[in-house]
Amino acid sequence: MKLKFCVVAVAFALAHTAAAQETVKIGVVQPLTGPVAYDGNIYVNTVKMLVDDMNARGGVLGKKIELVVEDGACNPAQSVNAAEKLATRDKVVALLGAFCSTSSAAMMEVARKHKIPHLTGISTAAQLTEQNNPYFFRAVATTPMLGAAFGGELPAAVKGKRFAFLVINDDWGRSMVSSYPKPIERAGGQIVGTEFFQSSELQFLSYITKIKAANPDAIILAANTQHAVALSKQIRELGIAAPLIGEGSWTSDSYLKLAGPAAEGVYGLVEYVYTIRNPINDAFVKMSRDKLKDNPSKFAGAAHNGIHIMVDAIRRARAADPEKIRAALTTTDYNGLVGNIRFNEKNQAYGQDVYLALVKNGVPEVVRTARIAKP
Amino acid sequence: MFDLAIFGQHLLNGVLIGCAYALIAIGLTMIFGVMNIANFAHGEFYMLGGFAAFYLVSLLKLNYFIALPVAVLLVLALAVAIQQAIFKRLRDAPVMTTTLVTIGLSILLEHVALLLWGPQPQVVPTPFPTRPLSFFGIYTTPLYLFSMAVTAALIVVGHVLIQRTRMGKAMRATFQNREAAALVGVRIDRVYLYAFAFGAALAAAAGAVLGGFIPVEPTMGGIATLKAFVVVILGGMGSFVGAIVGGLLLGLAEALGAGYFSSGWKDAIGFVAVILLLLFRPDGLFKRA
Repeated sequence: MKLKFCVVAVAFALAHTAAAQETVKIGVVQPLTGPVAYDGNIYVNTVKMLVDDMNARGGVLGKKIELVVEDGACNPAQSVNAAEKLATRDKVVALLGAFCSTSSAAMMEVARKHKIPHLTGISTAAQLTEQNNPYFFRAVATTPMLGAAFGGELPAAVKGKRFAFLVINDDWGRSMVSSYPKPIERAGGQIVGTEFFQSSELQFLSYITKIKAANPDAIILAANTQHAVALSKQIRELGIAAPLIGEGSWTSDSYLKLAGPAAEGVYGLVEYVYTIRNPINDAFVKMSRDKLKDNPSKFAGAAHNGIHIMVDAIRRARAADPEKIRAALTTTDYNGLVGNIRFNEKNQAYGQDVYLALVKNGVPEVVRTARIAKP
Repeated sequence: MFDLAIFGQHLLNGVLIGCAYALIAIGLTMIFGVMNIANFAHGEFYMLGGFAAFYLVSLLKLNYFIALPVAVLLVLALAVAIQQAIFKRLRDAPVMTTTLVTIGLSILLEHVALLLWGPQPQVVPTPFPTRPLSFFGIYTTPLYLFSMAVTAALIVVGHVLIQRTRMGKAMRATFQNREAAALVGVRIDRVYLYAFAFGAALAAAAGAVLGGFIPVEPTMGGIATLKAFVVVILGGMGSFVGAIVGGLLLGLAEALGAGYFSSGWKDAIGFVAVILLLLFRPDGLFKRA
């Protein structure tokens, strides 16, 4: 009996190592629980869908791609534990993720320690790419880069001068408040109010009333789905008609569906919106509608960029070897969903397009496009 | 420059949120006063009320005004089950034990909600028009007015039940002295059951009504519990009137504090008040009734 058990165990172990050799393991850390779980799940479901598709076409380096997904909960400690587990137990060759900037900042040190390339497509806090971490790459424009590209266009786009901020109280919201005013003021606008809300809140009546007292022509917001829904409803319910300009989930299907009429006339400042027209996006939108029953949100767009850039690097590295993949990532010249993406010497992406989209009849239409300059 | 309309708006916001705080806190203070349980899962009943209303209206297409009481009844039934299965057995357990159980229950309910319904926020569909109403520059919506009316009415109903009915009398007697109440024939188990179920139902009612403009999501219970504890401590542990006044006070203090002081300190206002109160008036603004 005991012998039989041993044989089975050995057979399993062999089968396991054999299976491990056949796949290229990529680790994903995203918030599957906690305050931004909804958007984190979109990222994960999209990556899974795209990897299934890639595997159906033969995978990479002749092997199947295997995703190992862990919950980081937008919590730095939990994200670090997740990344440690992926690096040491699962032996992944690359890491995607951590949604919130604070979690990515913590997770990239794990990547550095274990010498595994780490790519984020969502965390936008500017200082992430200032840590001299050769293993960390960012495939998304930072808030200051978005502000530089679009801030100056806002007064003309909304035909107004007085702007107020109502943003989430974290790195993201604060970097918005520090980077947008200059280009807005240069273009003739002025800032008449700034309010920060906590991520645990869904009731914003006092902030909104305070902003109303400043009588702005437009309100600039930083918020993801659940906050965005509550904010836009409550702003309209307190009788403010000024246009809203939002960074975050302001053009995603879930937001548009949940906010309903309150979403009309909202401008989204986004890295990706599903209504852009190019062959790669057309195919992506079709696949998302078929498989996930949803138009892709900007987090789905981030997932598309992230997995493609990483797999492209693995292909060019010609080996599932973290160090070689890291080297290949630095010479990325990827033509994808939102144009061309390359990395500068700090591993910050540039060259891609960003969009100002206006919601009309529940559909976000691109009204302006800008290209991210090399920082 | 003082703008009267903006001041009025802050007041109205404060009363709206204050009524909700009061409604949630009444249940918490009752459970604490009667059963001596600090119920950290109280906010989860608020969350469940919101989800129940959402699914009854959007999935079962129930009329909104029927869905609200049905949602409350569903949560009430769950509370009865929890009381019979768990807290009845812990009647004589030390406070630390029951507190830990409620914390565990809170985590359990939150994560079951997350598994069942996912993390996406939901808004309970209402038949009210979304166009705001304006009176002298103060804006509100029919839904806000309805929420205020319902929460205020439930507060009054709760008050009458406690003060005028036999069960209310039994609850007050149990609250004052459990052994003495038992001696004169009050059925303690039944009083506990009513207190727990009624308290949970009030929280669920708040969740169902507010779900029309504050999105419902699985993690929303945590902050609601904390706010309710602030109110209960402000008003005095176990004091019904204290919970009402404390709720309105906290709502107004947050609205006016955020409006005229600094919105970054909004959440701090309540907790600073609690620390000061515990230092200087540990029985709360209202002594035990």
